[in-house]
Amino acid sequence: MRDQNAKQNDAMRSDGRILECRGIERSFGGLKALKSVDIHVDRGEIFGLVGPNGSGKTTMVNVVTGFYPPNAGSVQLFGQDITGMKPNRVARMGVARTFQNLALFRGMSVLDNILLGRHVHMKPGALPSLFYWLWGAREEIAHRRAAEDIIDFMQLQDIRDEPVEVIPMGLQKRVELARALVAEPRFLILDEPMAGMNQEEKEYIARFILDARDERNVSILLIEHHMDVVTAICDRIVVLSYGEIIAQGEPKAAIADPQVITAYLGERAAARVLQANGGAP
Amino acid sequence: MFYRRAGIRFTRYRDERQIWPLPLDRRLMLLVLLLALAAPYLLDRLYLVGYLLPWLIWATAALGLNLLMGTAGQVHLGYGAVIGMGAYGSVHLVRAGAPLELAMLAGGLISAAVGIVFGAAALRVKGLYLAMATLAMQYIVDFVISHVPFISGGSQATITVPPVRFLGIPIVGDAAVYYMALGVCIVVTLFMLNVRRTAFGRALAAVREKDYAAEVIGVDTFRFKLLAFWVSSFIGGVVGSVLAVCYLRSISPDQFHIELSIQLVAMVIVGGMGSVLGSFFGAALILFAPIVLNNLIGFMADSMDMQISTDLRAHVPLMLYGGLIVGFLLWEPLGLAKIYNNMRNYFLVWPFRHAQR
Repeated sequence: MRDQNAKQNDAMRSDGRILECRGIERSFGGLKALKSVDIHVDRGEIFGLVGPNGSGKTTMVNVVTGFYPPNAGSVQLFGQDITGMKPNRVARMGVARTFQNLALFRGMSVLDNILLGRHVHMKPGALPSLFYWLWGAREEIAHRRAAEDIIDFMQLQDIRDEPVEVIPMGLQKRVELARALVAEPRFLILDEPMAGMNQEEKEYIARFILDARDERNVSILLIEHHMDVVTAICDRIVVLSYGEIIAQGEPKAAIADPQVITAYLGERAAARVLQANGGAP
Repeated sequence: MFYRRAGIRFTRYRDERQIWPLPLDRRLMLLVLLLALAAPYLLDRLYLVGYLLPWLIWATAALGLNLLMGTAGQVHLGYGAVIGMGAYGSVHLVRAGAPLELAMLAGGLISAAVGIVFGAAALRVKGLYLAMATLAMQYIVDFVISHVPFISGGSQATITVPPVRFLGIPIVGDAAVYYMALGVCIVVTLFMLNVRRTAFGRALAAVREKDYAAEVIGVDTFRFKLLAFWVSSFIGGVVGSVLAVCYLRSISPDQFHIELSIQLVAMVIVGGMGSVLGSFFGAALILFAPIVLNNLIGFMADSMDMQISTDLRAHVPLMLYGGLIVGFLLWEPLGLAKIYNNMRNYFLVWPFRHAQR
């Protein structure tokens, strides 16, 4: 196990970094959501971003994907500076993400939603539509194959023609992950992919995340509240609280940090926990 | 009669993505097409020129507006002005000696160019504000058309369309006029049907449903909104030239006022947002409901010997017509197309209701 980790670490170092954020600051009115945060994601890594509600995790992701340009600091993606770039340009560089609250397109089938994920690889326009039989059809069918690959990978075969709004929540989350993966991203950001899921569904998603990393060579940034999942699949985590990094490193060690326990449980409860465990949780 | 959906298996993606995957629909469409082609020989002149022709033209216009309102989700209250620009542009070009085919495309381009300028400004706002911005466009274009003598030919002037040829065929007589309108209508309809099954339509739908999610999968939302404005305005301009050449024969500024825009918006809403078939239904209802209601009230007044004052007789159809639109918004916001779909889905599997989906 340690050998494998060491080997992986070597590979990461030689391959360079996927994401490098330096001194990110972002405020909304008087509220400082992020106070000079530095994070980085290495190639082939599953990087966890955790923290209590309102600690700035989603804001951080929105800074990376271009929704909220940072007030200060720089974002480097694949060694290129993307600070302040518009979200659709960031997506074109090979970044896909899912949302905390589902962001599927209602009124369209599962298949159409997944095909939309291919947008960055297609050349949509009015003329290919007008001359569909001569022009648009070939492209549509070529991308349909890619979409069907992902449908197989995510095991969505029997619901591909259903409208997305009628399928259960757990499957909707899976469709959203499929839509992100079908774009063949190099870097995938998952914002609470397991929120509101039961143990079985969580395990399914965890498996898909690991498979995506191993088979499709994506590096992953994962925001998640389920600590069992985080410790099980993340290689490295950063814990945020009130817009600041309070702990980072190997998952088990980082979430056992007294500061992290305090951030989650409050001071008194944390003191009790630490006392009960003799100072070593 | 039974099992119309059973036994249909596709082995190629291309077959599955047909416009009408069910043989039933294909046969139905073929029948409609044949009837449409035979209409000049089957119908009385009054019905052909008085009903069928305006229906085709207005339905084409509703299709163009539906691309923007239904597919891309952007309100446009100035579509009448868009049609007006196309009409004036192409008629002036035809009068200057340009062939009609070019004048039609140029009319479309003029509408699209002006439309996109307003669109670029208007699309920085959303919803109600977009509605106001497009309404402003309607009034500005109205004003410019009627106050620039070079365009309108002076105050109160009408401009007549000279005799024209389209693809080598002289556009004279009812049949030629009808076939030209039908041709344009078929092209626009096929385009709209294809939009729905290609990446273009999906991107527009994404912009309509959730623009932040569209951005994150790489859709440049502003660009696609502008593209929708462009294409929709282009169709509007082409329809304007068809309207001028085939139906109006002479154009004046008051034909393209706000009333036309409101009528078109009503067609799209009553017919069904984003539905191709709905545009045809909506155009039919909005164009003919007042006439039918008028006749109905007149018939009731005469045959049942009711004492209805002429004043009331003139206004009751309008009130019913208004009530109809309110009723649609309340009870079937997805319009006539949805009603048709419900019925179709019911009969597709009748009598095996459990197989419905």
